[in-house]
Amino acid sequence: MDKFYAIADPTRRTIVEILAKKGRLSATAISDKFTMSMPAISQHLKVLREAKLVRVEKDGQHRIYHLNIDTMNDIEKWSQQMSHLWMQQFDKLDALLKVGKNKQK
Amino acid sequence: MEPKGQFTTERVFDAPLSTVWSVWTDPEMLKQWWGPHNVSIPECEVDLQVGGKFYIVMKAGEAMGPYAGTLWPMMATFTAVEPEATLAYDAEAWTEGQKETTTINQTTEITFAEKDGKTVVNINAVIHTAGSDAGMAVQGMEAGFNQQLDKLNEFLSEQK
Repeated sequence: MDKFYAIADPTRRTIVEILAKKGRLSATAISDKFTMSMPAISQHLKVLREAKLVRVEKDGQHRIYHLNIDTMNDIEKWSQQMSHLWMQQFDKLDALLKVGKNKQK
Repeated sequence: MEPKGQFTTERVFDAPLSTVWSVWTDPEMLKQWWGPHNVSIPECEVDLQVGGKFYIVMKAGEAMGPYAGTLWPMMATFTAVEPEATLAYDAEAWTEGQKETTTINQTTEITFAEKDGKTVVNINAVIHTAGSDAGMAVQGMEAGFNQQLDKLNEFLSEQK
C-alpha cells in the first residue's frame, strides 16, 4: 500500500491528525470521532496499517493505534525535498527574468 | 504541522505577469530554468490546452557525480489552462531505465496573479503514489542543491 495514496484521503488524513494530537487511541475511540460507521473506519484503519502510517498494539480486547513516526518522517522528508527542488527552480527563473529585464533596458 | 505528501509555496517575481506566464509555458524558455541546479533540459514539449501534453526531460550534469548523465523524464497532461491565471497538470515522473520502481504520480497546480507590477506565483503539489526507489531520484537532484548550498555557505563565510 502506497503511503501517499493512503494519506491523500480526507478521512484517513483526519485520523492521522487525531492520532498526532492524542498519541494513542483504540479503534473505538477513533470511530467515536466520526459520524460514519465503525466498519467504514475499520477499513480506513486497515489502509493506514498496510501503508505503515499507523501501528497497532493489542491491549486486552482493544486494538490501540498510534502513528508510525518513521513513515511520517519519510513523508515529511519528501515535502522538504519537493520544496528544495522548487526553490532551486525559482532561483533559476528569477535569474532568467532579471536577464530578460536588463535586455529590455 | 502534519506531513501530508503535499507541498505548497508562494514566490513573488519582479516581472510582469505576461512575462512570467510566457517563461512558464514556452518550451524554449522552460529549458532555461526548469529543474534543480546542475541539470540540463534536452527535451521539452508543451501543448498548452486542457488534455494537452507537457513533456520535459531533465539530464543530470557532471556536478551530480554518480548521477551524471541520468535522465529524469516527466510526462504530464494539462487539466487546467487559464492564460495568465492557472496551470494544472497530472504528471508521471521517473528515472529513465527504472520506470517500474521510480515512478512518482503527482498533481501540480500553479496560480499566477499580478500585484504592484510584480507576479505572485503559488504552487500546490500533491504526491499520489511514489515507487519504492523514487526517493533516490529526488535525493540525487537534491545532492546538486546541497552542493550549491555548501558553496554559498563557503562564500558567505569568506565575506565575514
